[in-house]
Amino acid sequence: MNTLLDELKSAFANAAVAPGGGESVKPEASALRVLNVQIKGHQLDVTVTAGAVVAAAELADRFGFAMDTITGVDWIGSGEMEIVYDFFHTQHGSHLVVRTRVPRDNPAVPSIHRVFPGANWHERETHDFFGIKFIGHPNLTPLLLPEDADYHPLRKDFTNAA
Amino acid sequence: MQLEHTVESDNPTQSPRETFVLNVGPQHPSTHGVLRLKLVMDGEYILAVEPVIGYVHRMHEKMGENRTYVQFLPNPSRIDYLSAMHYMHAYVGVVERALGINVPPRAEYIRVITSELNRIASHLVWLGAFLLDLGAFTPLLYAFDDRERILDLLESVSGARLTYCYYRFGGLCNDVDAAFVEGARAFVKHMWPRLKMYHGLVTENIILRKRLEGIGVISAELCRKYGATGPVLRGSGVACDVRKLEPYSVYNEFEFDVPHFGDGDCMARYKVRMEEIAQSLRIIEQAIAKLPIGPIMAEKVPRVVKPPPGDYYFAVEAARGRFAIRLVSDGSEIPYRLKLRTPSFSNLALFGEAARGLLLQDALALLGSLDLVIPDVDR
Amino acid sequence: MTETGELDPRRSALVRFARLDQLLDLSRANSLWPLTFGLACCAIEMMATGASRFDLARFGAEVFRPSPRQADVMIVAGTVNRKMAGPIKTLYDQMLEPKWVIAFGNCAISGGPFVFPGQYAVVEGVDKLFPVDVYVPGCPPRPEALIEGILELEEKITGKRRWPRVTVE
Repeated sequence: MNTLLDELKSAFANAAVAPGGGESVKPEASALRVLNVQIKGHQLDVTVTAGAVVAAAELADRFGFAMDTITGVDWIGSGEMEIVYDFFHTQHGSHLVVRTRVPRDNPAVPSIHRVFPGANWHERETHDFFGIKFIGHPNLTPLLLPEDADYHPLRKDFTNAA
Repeated sequence: MQLEHTVESDNPTQSPRETFVLNVGPQHPSTHGVLRLKLVMDGEYILAVEPVIGYVHRMHEKMGENRTYVQFLPNPSRIDYLSAMHYMHAYVGVVERALGINVPPRAEYIRVITSELNRIASHLVWLGAFLLDLGAFTPLLYAFDDRERILDLLESVSGARLTYCYYRFGGLCNDVDAAFVEGARAFVKHMWPRLKMYHGLVTENIILRKRLEGIGVISAELCRKYGATGPVLRGSGVACDVRKLEPYSVYNEFEFDVPHFGDGDCMARYKVRMEEIAQSLRIIEQAIAKLPIGPIMAEKVPRVVKPPPGDYYFAVEAARGRFAIRLVSDGSEIPYRLKLRTPSFSNLALFGEAARGLLLQDALALLGSLDLVIPDVDR
Repeated sequence: MTETGELDPRRSALVRFARLDQLLDLSRANSLWPLTFGLACCAIEMMATGASRFDLARFGAEVFRPSPRQADVMIVAGTVNRKMAGPIKTLYDQMLEPKWVIAFGNCAISGGPFVFPGQYAVVEGVDKLFPVDVYVPGCPPRPEALIEGILELEEKITGKRRWPRVTVE
């Protein structure tokens, strides 16, 4: 497990221009931290800029991680929204967490559904709850809310006017 | 999804075949809850599936943000009510991890016993409902009868038959008495020959085998891309179980196997769940034999639960797969964000790809073998 | 018949007279066919009531029909969502008269544990959509409570209760 996370950590640190896509974005792995969660399981926590999430997901895919979940967090106090991508591994107990922050008034992040098709529904749900736009997503319509919903309930300033 | 609505046939002199859209649900006996499937059909073959969910969205994540940690305790059981103990375990586990509380051994053992009993009860409901979908009514009655014995035991300690609220931060709310231990022992003794009976009655049945073998093949790579876990992943040959990979509670003190079969078809997923019942019985036997004496509640559990600011994550192996909670705390007594990663959500996501090209009845067999609980998908 | 027009007592033992609608009510009450409308957790208790230990078949109600055209009573078991409110109203309208509704569980009665200020997704009780005949409280109610609900409904239909009411000492 240690070797996997060490390799992953150095892969993040050394990654250059992202393959594919259109724009060349350099995955700046700032604030890279490795946390020991349990005796057996390990967690690698990576913070990247919004443009780098696709490259980060591709690295996760290359190392054999599976899509766990995508969480949105509304930091209304600092005017940001955080998107946390969780990946788990089916062979090791390792865990990869990729975080990014976007401004709250126009939250947009590239979609990773081409790398992990499972992200399709997670991104739709995050859009439902927070209004975060996932650029390149094929179908950003409401998933859990009614089809004609135009509200985003998990925002901290959501008051139910309906 | 964009799809052509006419299908050109091989013979250009014949008129092109038309497709039609068949709506299944949200009220349908085979959808295990309120799930709606929009099927684009070519005769009886499915060209495309679009599951529509959200018909039983009950705002669990929003409720996590406007009540205290203790007030949220009844909610996890209602997310997936069939394996409620596991969901409770994840919630109290994430808060215990955040507060650094060590749960006493007796409480951990009892948590394991009740969780494994719950897993068996959940698989029995799955067995009955799945076979009901395929057209067999009798196994439902047998399965529910065995399940009632488990519910008697769990009701005697927690007071509830289905949506338990038995675990607390730092331990349990009630201790178990000798009657429970004896009852659990008697249940295990009763269940081993019943498993053999189920294999004889159901698994060997030629109609079941023809309905399930080779149907709905899901590859391990598809599971990985969608994050499918639990018997769906283990039925595709990957021996991935949270209890072995990221052990929590006292699972590393027990000997048990992780059943997995490589075929990836509905029969493999069926066999995985039947084997898991056997493995759960093994764990219960070991836990009863080694049940320690001691307190059931940790000392120094704060009355007002205020985890330090930060992110915490806890995953458990629920009956349907990997259930995880990501808790973001800002130091107050109300969670800032409580994200629930449910197994049925990820398992259903791959249905769109896996059901393409199947006959309608095979797609429903595949849906049943995924073992979905729709409130688990919608939260 | 005697001269006064009354029935000969020796003959009355062989023949019973009743009003037709009383007979119809009795036959409807003794064979209520429920619509399979389990939405959430309460659905499992409904299935358990139909299974072998609690055996709803004793009361004539074990034939769960998936089609609303063939069902008499809609047992709304589980939370009613705003997205689901439209389909559930359609199902109610599709059921043929006479029809009854049992609201099973706290969610169907009043929204249950999912009501909080600012909630956006739950209809607070199915009686906001259509009239309910029997309310069965609980979260989830025990199967015996559903049987009691069916017996209450039978009493509502026929005016007589077929099982003695259990009183707490």
